[in-house]
Amino acid sequence: MTGFLDIVLWSVLGVHLLMALVAAWRTWRGDNSIERLIGLDLASTMTLAVLVLVSIIQQNSIFMDVAIALAALSYLSTVVLAKFVSDHKVF
Amino acid sequence: MEVLAQIFAVFFLIVGTLLSLIGVIGFIRLPDVYTRLHATGKVSVFGVVFLLASAILLTPLSLWKGLLLIFFVLMASPSVSHSVASAAYKAGLPMKDPARNDLKGKLERDSGRGV
Repeated sequence: MTGFLDIVLWSVLGVHLLMALVAAWRTWRGDNSIERLIGLDLASTMTLAVLVLVSIIQQNSIFMDVAIALAALSYLSTVVLAKFVSDHKVF
Repeated sequence: MEVLAQIFAVFFLIVGTLLSLIGVIGFIRLPDVYTRLHATGKVSVFGVVFLLASAILLTPLSLWKGLLLIFFVLMASPSVSHSVASAAYKAGLPMKDPARNDLKGKLERDSGRGV
């Protein structure tokens, strides 16, 4: 069972890294700024998923703390960048 | 009990990865900004929450951290989608073949107060 679990965990990690690469490609070659912003948000979500998977593989919950901090920072940065793109001011 | 938790964890891992994959394929293939935003919202709600449920089942230490992160993701993701869609509409990005547009003319009337 643990061998099968390891295989599933590593393949899921590979699929998530591939999806983060796709999101980074869309951020680099997007059609407009909002679409690049969506790609950036998707890349940070994929990084969150990779941190959770590394926390499962290493059996170490300190990566979960890093994931909480990353979720908070990416939430703030995406909201502020969206407001800046649409209104040309932050506050 | 251990084996049952591992079976559920593998099920959650595979289901979450498939939902994330569907979201990313939709992000590449769908035609305009609003539908792409609809697809990526599914990734951050379903994919990450299923992975976190699997992490809660598999690691013994991270129950409260996982529940806190699930709560935070479920709070943050809809508001991120809302703010990005509002920014796209205010920036004037076009929709592809809209059936109807309920906000037409409303944004100019309410301008100055924000949407």
